[in-house]
Amino acid sequence: MRAAIMTVVLAVSPCCALAQIGNPAGLAPDTSMEKPGVPAPHQTNYQDRLFVQLITAGGRAEIEFGRLAAGKTSHEDLREFANRMVDDHNKANEQLKSVADKSKIPLPEGLDPDHKNIRSDLEKLDGAAFELAYLRAQIVDHQRTAQLLAWEIGSGEDAALQRFASEKLPTVLEHLDLARTLHAKLAGQALFAPDTQKAK
Amino acid sequence: MSRIFNLGLPVLLGAATFTLNVASDPLPPDLTYRPLPSLPFSAVKETDEAQKPAVTQRQRGLLESRYDLADRPMPGVMMSGGRKAVQEGSRVKLPAGETWSSLAAKTPQEIRDRGLLPQGFLPLPHVKQAAGGQVFPESEIREIGADEGRDLRRFDVDFDLPDHLTPEFPPPIFLTTHPELGDVSRGDLLTIRNFYEYMNGIITPVQMEGLRLLLTPFPQEEFNQTEDRKVAMQSTGVACLDCHSNFHTNGAFHLTPDVRPQAERFRLDTTSLRGLFNQQIHGSKRSLRSVEDFTEFEQRTAYFNGDHVSATRKGVNLPDRPNQVAMMAQMQNIIDFPPAPKLDPFGRLDPATASALEIKGEQVFMGKGRCGECHVPAQSFMDNNMHDLKLERFYKVGQTFNDQVAIPDGPIKTFTLRGIKDSPPYLHDGRLMTLGDTVEFFNLVLGTKLDQSEKEALVAYLLTL
Repeated sequence: MRAAIMTVVLAVSPCCALAQIGNPAGLAPDTSMEKPGVPAPHQTNYQDRLFVQLITAGGRAEIEFGRLAAGKTSHEDLREFANRMVDDHNKANEQLKSVADKSKIPLPEGLDPDHKNIRSDLEKLDGAAFELAYLRAQIVDHQRTAQLLAWEIGSGEDAALQRFASEKLPTVLEHLDLARTLHAKLAGQALFAPDTQKAK
Repeated sequence: MSRIFNLGLPVLLGAATFTLNVASDPLPPDLTYRPLPSLPFSAVKETDEAQKPAVTQRQRGLLESRYDLADRPMPGVMMSGGRKAVQEGSRVKLPAGETWSSLAAKTPQEIRDRGLLPQGFLPLPHVKQAAGGQVFPESEIREIGADEGRDLRRFDVDFDLPDHLTPEFPPPIFLTTHPELGDVSRGDLLTIRNFYEYMNGIITPVQMEGLRLLLTPFPQEEFNQTEDRKVAMQSTGVACLDCHSNFHTNGAFHLTPDVRPQAERFRLDTTSLRGLFNQQIHGSKRSLRSVEDFTEFEQRTAYFNGDHVSATRKGVNLPDRPNQVAMMAQMQNIIDFPPAPKLDPFGRLDPATASALEIKGEQVFMGKGRCGECHVPAQSFMDNNMHDLKLERFYKVGQTFNDQVAIPDGPIKTFTLRGIKDSPPYLHDGRLMTLGDTVEFFNLVLGTKLDQSEKEALVAYLLTL
C-alpha cells in the first residue's frame, strides 16, 4: 500500500515531490534534528540567509526596473515583458517573504548598491538605447538569479527555501529566454535597420 | 579623427560604466569554490549515516518511476567475457496513454508543452547530488577490499543501479599487442597486488610501470585523509582502474567536473578505455586533446572535480609528464576492443557471416537511422567530434529531480560503439539502461521515425559490434 501511494505521488508530480537531502557537511553547527538525519523545519545555514538577501534584492530590482521600462518603452512586446516581470516578481517576493518570516530571516531594505547603479544608468537613457540597456541588465540579472536558485537547491538547509528555489527556477529560465529573444530582436532591428544598411 | 574621438569616447565610457556596474554584482563566494565542511567529521558522518536509508529510498523511487528495472536477459546473448547476459527490450517507461510510435509522431514542442518526454530520457541524478563524488558498485568494493584491504565503501550512499544493468565483472582485457592471446585478465580484477604476476612477459617495462601507476591509489575528493571525505577511515584514495576495472568500466559514477553550481552538474557514467588508441578527444565535455593530457590532468584535480584547489588540500599527485604520464598513456593505448568477428577491416558487416537481420540493421544504421553520420564504422564508430542533440527541445529546462537541476546537456563527445553490448548503462550519464532504450532515444531525438522491424534490426546490429 505504501508503495502504491509512493507511485501515485511520483506519477502526479515527479518534480519537487520529494524532499531535498543536502550534504550534511554544510549544515549550520546549531542545527537541531526533527529525527535522525532530518533537520527540523525552518532552520537555516549561511547559504539560506545569503540566498534570501540576494534574491529579495534582485526581485525588488526586477519590479522597479519593470515599472520603469513599462513607462518608458513604446515597444509592445517589451512592455508586455516588463509588466510580466513586475507581476511575477511581486508574487515571488511575497512568497519568499512568507518563507523567510517563518525561518526568521530579516529581509533587506530598498535596492542594493549595484541595482541602484543600474537604475541610475537606465534613467539616463531613452528610446532604443534604454530598451537594449534594460534587456541587457535583465539578461545578466536572470543569469545570476538562475545561478543563485541552483546554488540554494544544492547548498541550502531550509527545505522550504529549497522548494521555493526549485519551483521558481524553470520560470526564471523562461524569463531569461524571453529577455534573450527580445534583446536579439531589438538589437537585430537596431543593427540591420534599412538606413544603416544603406549607409554601409 | 578628432571628431570620431569626440563622439566615440563618451559612448565608450558610457558602455564601460554600465558594464562595470553589472560586473560588480555580488554573488556568493562558494558558487565556484568548494566550501569547507562547517561541522566536524564525526557529526557529518552521523547525519550522513542517518540520512542514508531516505537517500536510497528516494533514488530507488526515481529509478522505478523512470525505468522497468527487471532482470530480463536477452536469450543467448552474453557480454564478451561470457559472465553476464545482455538485457533485452527498452526499459524507459512511457507516459500514460503513449506508445513509442505515437510519441515519435509528435513535434518536440508538443512533447515539451504537454510534458510527454519519458522521464528516463532526462538527465539522471547522482544518488546524492548535493554531495556528489565517486560511487563504486558492490563488486568493486568487495574485490578491492579483499585484495588490497582498501575501503571504497561510502557511509552516505550506496551504488544505485541493479547489478544486472551494469557491465560484467571483472571484464576481460584484450591487448592490441597480442590479439592472438584473447582475454589476458585470467578472469580476475587487476589490482596493485596482482598486476605484475598477470602481465609479466606480455607487456613492456614501460607499460608495466604505467600499469603500476594506474593501479596506485591517490587521494580523491571523497576518499582522502581530511575531514572532508565520505569514507569511514582515513583513506589512501582511489586508483584510475577502480572505476575503469580491467581498463573497461564497472559502472561506477561521479559528477561531471565541468559544470557549476553543484545542483547542475550532470552524472558521469564511467566510460570504457577500450579503443583509446583511436580516440582523439577525451572527456565527455572537456575535449582534452590527448590521453596524456587527460591522465595528467585528472590527477591534478583529484579525479574529475574540476577543482585543483580542493585537490591540493587533500594531497595531490602530480605525475611527471615524460617519465610517468607517458608510461600510463602507453599502457592505456594498447587496450583493444573485444573481438567483433562479423566486422571487416572497414568496420562493415561481412555478408558471409552476418544474418539478414543484422545486415538490415546495418542498413538502418548507415541510412534512415543516421547513426553512422557520427558513429563512423571506419573510425572505430566515432567521429572525434562533440555534438549537441538539443534534447531541451523536448522538455522544460530548470526542473529539479532529486536535487539535480536538469539543464541542457550541450555538446557531448561521440563515444565509440565498438563492444557496446559490454558497457551498459548508456549515454554519458547512464540514463539509458539497454540498447533498446538507446534506439528509442535516438529515434525520438533525431526524428528518424523508424518502424518496429527497423528498431529490432538495429539492436541486432549493435550486438555484432
